[in-house]
Amino acid sequence: MEGKRSSSQRSDLLRKIREFTRSILDDLSIGKSPVVLIDRFRNYCTDNTGNCCCSSDLSKGKEMLTLQRECHAHRLDVLLRVLLIVQQLLQENRHGSKRDIYYMHPSVFSDQSVVDRAINDICILLQCSRHNLNVAYPVPVHVEEVKDIVSVAQYILVVEKESVFQRLANDKFCNKNRCIVITGRGYPDIPTRRFLRLLVEKLHLHVYCLVDCDPYGFDILTTYRFGSMQMAYDAKFLRVPEIEWLGAFPSDSEKYGLPEPCLLPLTAEDKRKTEAMLHRCYLQQELLHWRLELELMLQRGVKFEIEALSVHSLSFLSENYIPSKIQVVEGV
Amino acid sequence: MCFQILVQEKRVTQRELFYKLLCSSPQYFTCQLQVNRTIQDVVALLRCSRYSLGIMASSRGAVTGRLLLQEPNQETVDCSACGSSGHPISGDMNLLERMVMKTDARYIIVVEKHAIFQRLAEDRVFNQIPSILITAKGYPDIATRFLLYRMSRNFPDLPILALVDWNPAGLAILCTFKFGSIGMGLEAYRYACNVKWLGLRGDDLQLIPEESLIPLKPRDLQIAKSLKSSEILEENYRNELEVMVQSGRRAEIEALYFRGYNFLGKYIAKKIVQANYV
Repeated sequence: MEGKRSSSQRSDLLRKIREFTRSILDDLSIGKSPVVLIDRFRNYCTDNTGNCCCSSDLSKGKEMLTLQRECHAHRLDVLLRVLLIVQQLLQENRHGSKRDIYYMHPSVFSDQSVVDRAINDICILLQCSRHNLNVAYPVPVHVEEVKDIVSVAQYILVVEKESVFQRLANDKFCNKNRCIVITGRGYPDIPTRRFLRLLVEKLHLHVYCLVDCDPYGFDILTTYRFGSMQMAYDAKFLRVPEIEWLGAFPSDSEKYGLPEPCLLPLTAEDKRKTEAMLHRCYLQQELLHWRLELELMLQRGVKFEIEALSVHSLSFLSENYIPSKIQVVEGV
Repeated sequence: MCFQILVQEKRVTQRELFYKLLCSSPQYFTCQLQVNRTIQDVVALLRCSRYSLGIMASSRGAVTGRLLLQEPNQETVDCSACGSSGHPISGDMNLLERMVMKTDARYIIVVEKHAIFQRLAEDRVFNQIPSILITAKGYPDIATRFLLYRMSRNFPDLPILALVDWNPAGLAILCTFKFGSIGMGLEAYRYACNVKWLGLRGDDLQLIPEESLIPLKPRDLQIAKSLKSSEILEENYRNELEVMVQSGRRAEIEALYFRGYNFLGKYIAKKIVQANYV
């Protein structure tokens, strides 16, 4: 079921792996220490002057690995071993997980994080995404090979939690409202983000995000919009800059008359996280509305979950909250 | 509260129920745990299922292999053609009850982890050893257990074998499929199946290097304690549990990859052929 594109991608990568390895061998054979340059990427920083370049997809400098330093030598050893396993996966067109790779040389890879970093480095060196290396299993859909998507939907709704997804399914939300509902079940994984990005590119629909009114919900929203730090090098294929925050806003608790017991206090950890997020560069210059709401959350010291909106009526979410919010956004 | 919801012909999730109760009867309910325990009590008193009280559940489970599933008046699904993620198991118990099943498998293999399930599905291990693979991707939800239960009734000659990590949590998962869920009150013994422990077991540890054994987490020790105190655990399981606790270590199935990607399939095949399960 594999398309021509992915098999040519694989042979491309195999060629790059051979070239990379050869260049290291060439250096070693003339007694020279190989130098490996790895680009660095990030999606946000704490610069609030507005002069940072986080919104561009370019790398923010390079890291230099040589055999002259012992820690680098170890890192290169790890990288080459992982590369060998990746080569095998690509040659046999099989998939494996990062965990599997760890167990192949547990004494060298003392910890999972060592493997994770090597995989990131390899992705940057070969200029590809992790799934191109056959690390982690494909979604039932090979996203690059989807030729056509047809839909009568008018918008896409992304929800944080599966329970909210269930609520909407139970209320037959998609029958009454022409839309596509998708859930990442918390922090979205790579296949979900790629699929969402594909939907947006092909269908050109508005995308709305419904998360809990708490620091984690907000972080999930920013992951969809800007990408995560771990996958910063892949951000341009994974992020959805068009996504809009539908709710729940801290200001909604008053607006929709949420009863007092539903408002849970922010923990110390919640407050720390919120303060850290407020420093992110993208909240300094753009997205003032997001910033104001986040500040309100911190000020009030409370958070609430989407389910709290069902307190008065189970159908409130489907029949009132979501439709009225969408109307506001669309300026109806 | 459930009555009111049922009268409206609606369903509710456990979390939604919590918020409703929190607001209507704050003096009785202050946390989700209390709500969950109360639901269990109601289920025991009324001798009914959570589902019939209008409480929605989802399922994380998936099934693949030599199984044909058909909802009444719908197309038949061939689970072996569902890709490496398998066919997702619906959370709708009424639907699962009405499913028609056909198989030519000789074994049912219950897999603890999704990653292992995907590996076995990708390698089509269910063709090498005619089998059905099922996973709940961790601690089993009721829908997955129900499907397994229905399979065990429909296909009584098929041994059900479990592939779990060597640690108290893995053993607890096996026991949940085997005996039911201890935390579920009266619903506990419903859907219990005769599941045998294929691996990983103590005598498999010789197949993996020393470095691949990792320390037990505090949670594992808690689980071990609670398993030990349950009377239902048979002697050889009890002995294995003791070894785990004494050694202070655990091993994941992935540790077998030390011997290469093909090793897992061979390991399973060998154990099955030798009937090396307890």
